[in-house]
Amino acid sequence: MSTPPLRRGTRIGTQWLSFRFDGRSYPAQAGDTAASALLANGVRLMGRSVKYRRRRGLLGAGPEEPNALFNVGEQPQLIPNVQATLLLLREGMSLASQNRWPSLRVDLASLLQAGGGLFSAGFYYKTFIWPSWRTYESLIRRLAGLGAAPLDCALPHVAIEHLACDVLVTGAGPAGLAAARAAARAGARVVICESEPVCGGELEFEGGHIDGQTAAAWLVRTLAELESLGARILTSTTVITDNGGEFIAHAEPGGLPGHNTMYRIRPRAMVLAAGALERPIVFCNNDRPGVMLLGAAERYLTRYGTQVGRELVLFANHDRVYASAQRLAAGGMAVRAIVDTRGADALMTGSAAHVLRDSLVAAGVECLAAHAVISANGGSGVRAVRVAPLHGGPPRKIRCDTILVSGGWSPALHGGFHGGAARAYAPPLDSFVAATSTETRRHAGSANGCLELGAALADGHAAGARAAADAKATGHAGVAPQGNGDPSPRLQAFARSPAAPAAERRQFIDLQNDVTVADLRVALAEGFSDIEHVKRYTTLGIGTEQGRSSAVLGAAVLAELKGESLAAVGVSRSRPPYQPVTLRSIAGFHVGDAVMVSRRTPLNDWHVAHGGMLEPMGLWMRPRYYSANGANPFDAAIAEARQVRTAGGIVDGSTLGKLEVAGPDAAAFLDFIYLSKASTMRVGRSKYMVNLREDGMVLDDGLVLRLADDRFLATTGSGHGTHMLSHFEHYRALHWSGRGVTVTDVTEAWAVIVAAGPRCRDALLQVLDTAWQAPIGRLGHMDFADGSHAGQALRVLRASFSGELAFELHCRPAGAVALWEALLAAGLAAYGLEAVDILRVEKGYLTGSELNGQTTPFDLGMAALVKQGNDCLGRALLDRPAFHEATRPRLVGLRACDGRSRFLAGAQLTTAAAPDRPQGFVTSSVYSPTLDQWLGLALLARNQAEGTQLMARDPLRGSDVAVHVVAPVHFDPASERMKG
Amino acid sequence: MRQLPCPFCGARELREFVFHKTLPAAASATADASADEFARTYLRVADPQLSVEHWQHVHGCRAWLLVRRNPSTGAVLAVQMLSGTAP
Ligand SMILES: [Zn+2]
Repeated sequence: MSTPPLRRGTRIGTQWLSFRFDGRSYPAQAGDTAASALLANGVRLMGRSVKYRRRRGLLGAGPEEPNALFNVGEQPQLIPNVQATLLLLREGMSLASQNRWPSLRVDLASLLQAGGGLFSAGFYYKTFIWPSWRTYESLIRRLAGLGAAPLDCALPHVAIEHLACDVLVTGAGPAGLAAARAAARAGARVVICESEPVCGGELEFEGGHIDGQTAAAWLVRTLAELESLGARILTSTTVITDNGGEFIAHAEPGGLPGHNTMYRIRPRAMVLAAGALERPIVFCNNDRPGVMLLGAAERYLTRYGTQVGRELVLFANHDRVYASAQRLAAGGMAVRAIVDTRGADALMTGSAAHVLRDSLVAAGVECLAAHAVISANGGSGVRAVRVAPLHGGPPRKIRCDTILVSGGWSPALHGGFHGGAARAYAPPLDSFVAATSTETRRHAGSANGCLELGAALADGHAAGARAAADAKATGHAGVAPQGNGDPSPRLQAFARSPAAPAAERRQFIDLQNDVTVADLRVALAEGFSDIEHVKRYTTLGIGTEQGRSSAVLGAAVLAELKGESLAAVGVSRSRPPYQPVTLRSIAGFHVGDAVMVSRRTPLNDWHVAHGGMLEPMGLWMRPRYYSANGANPFDAAIAEARQVRTAGGIVDGSTLGKLEVAGPDAAAFLDFIYLSKASTMRVGRSKYMVNLREDGMVLDDGLVLRLADDRFLATTGSGHGTHMLSHFEHYRALHWSGRGVTVTDVTEAWAVIVAAGPRCRDALLQVLDTAWQAPIGRLGHMDFADGSHAGQALRVLRASFSGELAFELHCRPAGAVALWEALLAAGLAAYGLEAVDILRVEKGYLTGSELNGQTTPFDLGMAALVKQGNDCLGRALLDRPAFHEATRPRLVGLRACDGRSRFLAGAQLTTAAAPDRPQGFVTSSVYSPTLDQWLGLALLARNQAEGTQLMARDPLRGSDVAVHVVAPVHFDPASERMKG
Repeated sequence: MRQLPCPFCGARELREFVFHKTLPAAASATADASADEFARTYLRVADPQLSVEHWQHVHGCRAWLLVRRNPSTGAVLAVQMLSGTAP
């Protein structure tokens, strides 16, 4: 690899580095972007288009770039869709082009589509419908999309910084700096987001004078003043969306996603001065490598000393092309011709542009007026251009390797317009600006249609001063900077060159999505007329492009095809983010264990130390089983359940939600919330109760304890505690106006140990303070008693969800471990949630899956509760006829017909008569060690009676098992064990 | 609307609040209480200019709030405590 001559530019240094592109090594200078370095190495082919796989090179030099998107790095940590124009090269960096297979030069898909017309507008909807979409899906998925997803997302953590300020300014060009200076002088706290790595915007190229100094000197002085006034300047930072008054900005130094900072900025007022994006003009084969934006060529030259080509043809509809031509020629490139769409009289005699043109002509540059570029010649790169007079006459060929095109500038409104604010047509720009400024959002500079330096400075200053006032800053903004630079571009609207109908298939509007003029015609012919419909039907401006180069251009061509004005057609709305952003950047540090908080019970450390295998339940972590009891969850759970039935066990029930409801209206409040009456309970008793959503579906179940006349403890399902608290608070606010009843979450004030099994009473008597001897012996089923143990409060409730004699011990968290270990020492063994499920299903108790928000109390076998129940929340709608139809589900038990086959929750239940029409599904299934077979609970249509034989179909897991319907209670139906 | 003005806490980030439901445009008042209940529960009128909603300041003062807002613009028109607003 020989070292090429050193280039000089404002953004590059003199050190060499090397990088790889599609496997080949290239030299670059420090500060080069991938785009500038590849161009300098003579590489022009940088990608393939997504639909037609046409060869593509660079269009732009910044965020507008639609073609040169690279995969950066190697799998598993590859980053896709990185714009070559923004990617700062680092030593050894590895890049690969996208949308080609097997290689960039030879792409098989492009051969398939050599006809060019296969994928026209709406092609997904029209082409792939016979015999079905699925026939084509895998092929299309292989061809579609951009880039490759990383296989591993182990990128560095992304910092998220919250900023509050008085005035946020986007863009640090002349208007943005004038705005920031005015606001800061007035005393406002200012934050500036500039997407480039350095400030200055157009001052970098245009030059000119401000307040009697060169633009460069003014820039240095202004930045120093802003710093001294405390303004915060964030470079390489782009505002990617307006999130309802909070602006999300994305700092990406080096242009490589995933190595960055996200800012969430909440300003009191903002000034949008993000400049304007140059747009191309459409002509035939305008997508060939070598067709670039005029401004991009100037950027490559000034910043990187890179020449975009050797022989240039410039194509534009405004005055600025002449100044550009002179600067490019001075940079060593040969300007073969300037093609101006405007008539010869467009240049005012004596104007700067006129003088420039004369000197260019004198230097041998052909200057054509009222001409247009008709087409580019050359497949893998421009070799010549065909130009023709606009008012008749034969086309003619001019040899060149690069066509630089400029069709005007579209204000970059995106950052502030994701909320959908109105836009207005601005004739001097042939584009759109903000229709109105609001108190919190003003536009300035070229983003507001001011394309001359003096006007942009004045506009920025005024916007900054007003924004500071809006933000209640009281100081004086000072005098607006006076500037003069390039005069008005005197643009005349021109969006596309004339073309024969067949050539319109090669007139590209959206290069990233391969949308052509022909596609827009198809959309119109098929009745898609509104710009938003056309966008969706043709894919104009979708994807990461989001209309940066294509939105205004597409609208202008559509206006021409419809015979309407651009103002009438309008422009489609872009969607956030303005720049592509990795999901990792949005997640920030909320990844892995930090996605959510997790809640731990007071016994958590004991579980972990003793082989408890934790699993999440809502936010709680609970032991699923203990590894000492078996090699896998299945074996361990069977051993644990057997231990409970034969001797006794303890399980951590601390995750139960516990809400204390107190006050003179507590009983009436619970009567309103729950289906059963709380008001008729006596103190010292508990009751199993369910409550309903307002539509009548069961919301939650649990025990309610009456602690005193005016005090209750309501327990909720483990995952439901926080939701039930909100539910209680909601109806307390709505119907009790916050008076007469209080609701207090005491979930974490009590640890709960459930002791179950034939020997659990003996263990309790052995372990608890002697004062408990009498109460424990006296407690009937569903009674509880309050007292103390080891100096701390203890409540003992006799209630069972296992079918065994069982007690819930509600103790203070500090004493939980000691009590737990004492019970173990007394002969009980710890069991986990898998065993709990086995015990519950054996007894026909709901496991949680049955409370799925679609089941009424009737469905769950609680008709008696409704009959005796209250006129509670949700009760009125239980009488709806649909809830009583024969096809409503009903809770049933299931067993395999052969007494041994396994069937799993989720299996669909069908009859022999209708094997494809499920009559219900299995909600829970367990292997019962007590009954030595698989048992299930199911929700099954009411008209399927007990004894019916059904098929439990489970095609995805590959088993169909014959089952028969039984009563839900599989074990000890008379409940003699738990009541004894 | 990235913030909601809680009458108790002041303007707070939206992520502190939880949305519960949209209320029907107007309370129906017929002789049939069950039909009224049905309408209250199931019939929601999507008015692009006005949505009346129940929210809770869950990660704040836990107050339940009655929020009136314009879904088209995201503007919050009014926020009051839900207490005492029941029919
Ligand atoms: Zn609050």
